[in-house]
Amino acid sequence: MKPTAFLNSSIKDFTLNLNNDYRYLKTSYYVSTHAEVLGNHVIPSSESIIDASRTPILLLRASKAGIPTLRYVVTGSVKQIILELGFPLVVFAVNPFCYDGFIVAQNKSALYRAVKSLSMNYKFAVCAQPLKGQMISFKSFFGKCKIEGEVAKLSMRVFEVFKLPMCKLHVQTVGNEAYLCGLQPLRLEEISPADVEMVSQEVSRMSSKGEHLVG
Amino acid sequence: MANIACFVEKYNFSDQREAVALQNFQRTAQRMGHQFDFMFREDISKIPNYDAVFIRATTDPLFTSYVVSKTAWELGKKVVDDPESIQICGNKIHLYDLFEKHDVPHIPTVFMNKEDLHHKRLLEVFETLGKPIVVKAPYTSFSKYVEKVACETSFRDVAKRYFRKSDMLAVQTFMPTAFDWRVGVLNRQTLYVCKYMIPKGRWKHGAKRRGKPTFVWGRTVALKTENAPSKLKEVALKACDVIGKGLYGVDIKEFNGDYVVVEVNDNPSIYAGYEDSRNKDLYGKIIEYLVD
Repeated sequence: MKPTAFLNSSIKDFTLNLNNDYRYLKTSYYVSTHAEVLGNHVIPSSESIIDASRTPILLLRASKAGIPTLRYVVTGSVKQIILELGFPLVVFAVNPFCYDGFIVAQNKSALYRAVKSLSMNYKFAVCAQPLKGQMISFKSFFGKCKIEGEVAKLSMRVFEVFKLPMCKLHVQTVGNEAYLCGLQPLRLEEISPADVEMVSQEVSRMSSKGEHLVG
Repeated sequence: MANIACFVEKYNFSDQREAVALQNFQRTAQRMGHQFDFMFREDISKIPNYDAVFIRATTDPLFTSYVVSKTAWELGKKVVDDPESIQICGNKIHLYDLFEKHDVPHIPTVFMNKEDLHHKRLLEVFETLGKPIVVKAPYTSFSKYVEKVACETSFRDVAKRYFRKSDMLAVQTFMPTAFDWRVGVLNRQTLYVCKYMIPKGRWKHGAKRRGKPTFVWGRTVALKTENAPSKLKEVALKACDVIGKGLYGVDIKEFNGDYVVVEVNDNPSIYAGYEDSRNKDLYGKIIEYLVD
């Protein structure tokens, strides 16, 4: 079913909201809120859509659910970041416009540049985390990813908490450990035919239970 | 004794009337034996040290204020505005969808998405709602991102601008009135009532001066809550019921003897000498709710 058709309907059933881009104010968000207003159980919830793309809340909710995360600082002040975390660092944006990626800062001048750019000239706050190991980014579909070990476990746990059917995860690996750092929406170009196959398998498994598919 | 953090941004102090209101909050809390600290963006990590968080910086699910609200909520603190209220009131599409479901009397509204922006659909919309119509972006606040259009060309202009950020927008019937009622509601009870007058020759409370970046605001006339029409208060409380039990400012239009809800706002403006002028106890009531 197309999202626009669903938004004009009043179907009462379990709703699976499939989209590559889960963001606030996007169609996928309105599908979830509409389903909630109708009283449907929906995956993902509108609350999760907002929370998952706000890095500090993502980390807070994840750590409450027992997913390994690192310490983070939300601020607009470079001095405070250095004082509390030291170098090297990985910085994420906490502003309404920037959803893609992070900046690694090894020294003070790089950090100033990163904060200036991600905070849109100090208008918004940023979220900084210490860089202890290697940053990796990968696609996750219904919690499944192409990497094995701790990272796969983490990806599945993130799905269990936030229920985002498709997303890109930023994870830090330190030795055998994996720590969640950030999450961002997938671009349509990033989804390969093999990924589509994986998603459709998952969906057909779920739809055998009976539900409304929007996407 | 409770520790209250009041989350503010620098701009909250740039208007003298708001700065005085914030001081009133602080003084009232202290008089009641509580600690009341202003918390800026740099102090977010101190939230665990407080018992309650009161947000006065502008709220939106995309702003830092939402991060503060949700963090406090997750940590089990009392918080005004709570994250759910910010989520619902911050998005007018979500809000009107709820009004529709719960039969709250509101201005006739049609939702539009990008695919609806074609001649046939636009004609239909003009037919249903009449001319002119009001186009509203879901993230509107302080009378911004609300425009009145009377023809298809200007409709397309405005819609295209709003569609850059949001995939949906709301279109409403134009209801010209001399003022909008503003009912402050806290914990499902009326807190204050005032009239937001529309400036002469304009159609909304805050209007931009043509060719200038400045805004012209209408007067605010406060009423004693007990003197306000009871039907008005009833409608306001009904509208807040579908959202939650926090602090809200309900905008209501009185049209042909009926009260219709324009919107419910979380984080309503409270300016010294304006909203509080006939209900001085509103500061105390809010502090009481925070520490309860």
